[in-house]
Amino acid sequence: MVAGARRGWVKIMANVSPGADPVERVVELHLPSRLGYEKVAMDAAASVARRMGFSADRVEALRTALAEAVTNAIEHGNAHNADTRVLVILTVRPSELVVSVADQGFKPIDKAKIAPTPNIEDSFSRADKGGWGIWLIRELMDEVEFTTAPTGGNQVRMVIHLEKQP
Amino acid sequence: MLDDDLSVHIREREGVAIIDLIGDVTTFAEEKITSAYNEVSRRGARNILLNFRQNDYINSAGIAILIGVVTEVNRRNQRLAVSGLSQHFQKIFRMVGLAQYIDIYQDEDEAIRGLNAAVA
Repeated sequence: MVAGARRGWVKIMANVSPGADPVERVVELHLPSRLGYEKVAMDAAASVARRMGFSADRVEALRTALAEAVTNAIEHGNAHNADTRVLVILTVRPSELVVSVADQGFKPIDKAKIAPTPNIEDSFSRADKGGWGIWLIRELMDEVEFTTAPTGGNQVRMVIHLEKQP
Repeated sequence: MLDDDLSVHIREREGVAIIDLIGDVTTFAEEKITSAYNEVSRRGARNILLNFRQNDYINSAGIAILIGVVTEVNRRNQRLAVSGLSQHFQKIFRMVGLAQYIDIYQDEDEAIRGLNAAVA
């Protein structure tokens, strides 16, 4: 938890670690657990991805996947608790962008929601027409892994590969 | 500042009820979109166009809202079309299956022609 944290506060930290791979660059965002702040993460990730040379449609895919991951962290993992933060780490590698999203784990991720492919026909007869977020992340990213963060919260690790332009 | 960022307007053109959606379509959009849909339905709309503008953010909660609209459109035998979606969100609509129930047009003019041709 960030001591003295308050609503509306965004911490952005960029780091090029001298001991690490010289081409590895890391950007960290500590976002308030309030819906809407996922847009800050989307814009930051899109900016990094564009600079890496990702095509416009891949940048859009990344924006959508990251929005879903951060929204899940705010709504479920952190249960909208204003004292919590969502940690987004963007790691730039020569051929890929690794994006991890961690919450503080007030509520563990519902494993039943990770696997299934939702069906629109089923949605018509259900009161809750949601459940598309994790499926979208899986469809749009090249690698997706759901783990437990070092802090004990939920963590989603997503990788998008930089494809060589033809 | 960052939450409610959608403007919704209703108008009619050539027999088509147009709902302009300007901005983000997320969980905050539910009441505005549902109210607009209910209003055009109350006025007897048979052909409805969701005209998207500047929508660089539609998330899964927004998709769930649109599935709710499709559910009602199917129940009431209305016809629903969308226009103005970016290529990315057209792709998302196809992935989710919304494109099976919604006619996707590039812009408003094309949608009006398409909806009226389908009626004729």
